Amino acid sequence: MGELAVVGRAEFTLGFRLAGIRKVWDAGSEEELERAIALARRDDGVSILVLETRDMTRISPRTRGELVSSVSPTVVAVGLEEDNTLREKIKQAVGVDLW
Amino acid sequence: MAAQNVTPTRSELINVKRKIALSKSGYNLLKKKRDGLMYEVFAILPKVKSIRADLVQRYKAAQESIQVASAVEGAITVRSVAMTVTNPPKVVLREHNIMGVKVPKIQADSVRHPLSERGYGIVGTSPAIDEAVTSFEALVEQAILAAELETAIKRLLDEVEKTKRRVNALEFKVLPELDEVKKFIALRLEEMERDSLFTMKRIKAKAKAREAET
Repeated sequence: MGELAVVGRAEFTLGFRLAGIRKVWDAGSEEELERAIALARRDDGVSILVLETRDMTRISPRTRGELVSSVSPTVVAVGLEEDNTLREKIKQAVGVDLW
Repeated sequence: MAAQNVTPTRSELINVKRKIALSKSGYNLLKKKRDGLMYEVFAILPKVKSIRADLVQRYKAAQESIQVASAVEGAITVRSVAMTVTNPPKVVLREHNIMGVKVPKIQADSVRHPLSERGYGIVGTSPAIDEAVTSFEALVEQAILAAELETAIKRLLDEVEKTKRRVNALEFKVLPELDEVKKFIALRLEEMERDSLFTMKRIKAKAKAREAET
């Protein structure tokens, strides 16, 4: 049995705290974000890591690359900003923009 | 493998023919794998798109509800309620194999809780907070679905690309080069055969001439 973890701004994580999620790391700056993501990934109890879509563009390309297709923990970006990672991947692999 | 660096022998020709047969069967298998992966991608893609659209809608609704709750109850109350909410959603993460690609299979439990099991006092809080909690529970539920399917499709797409690269390398680099080597060896062997035949004929002619002289 694993848990969900949330990393992001305090305003972003507050709602998830309301939904009962206990593993929450508040991170504002880019360094804090990288540190919090590393901590969450090291935690064996974390099965799903929730990030804000805009934070996905603020982290280093290396971390982003590792997060995008990570299975344990599985990472999901939530937010209003459009995340083009999947769209780009489809274009690259299939050759057509199917999104 | 440059054709000129190969020793033109029969055993080498047999080796090259064996390599060509192996590469061709690998090429056919990889093409089938690529098509199979594509089929899986196309099967998941509509679901991923609708789940993502729904996730954005639920996020919008959740943000609005928490803003309303903050306006009605005050940010500090919302924060203190957030600290009292217990019962975190539990998930079981398993790995599922699609054509050698490991994708997550997530089973979620106790994401949504009835009002009485949320851990905060119902009397002291307003329905705005209940509404915010409900919205975020719905968001978490959808985020779990999105996590599973989006990661699966991303991993499948990575594998499609890798397989495509391998298929192309076999089709445009390995197989043409091996064919070239095969042709080179075959030509050289034919040439050597003609050479030896010509030498034999000359020796035979010389021997005949010598016989005629004596």
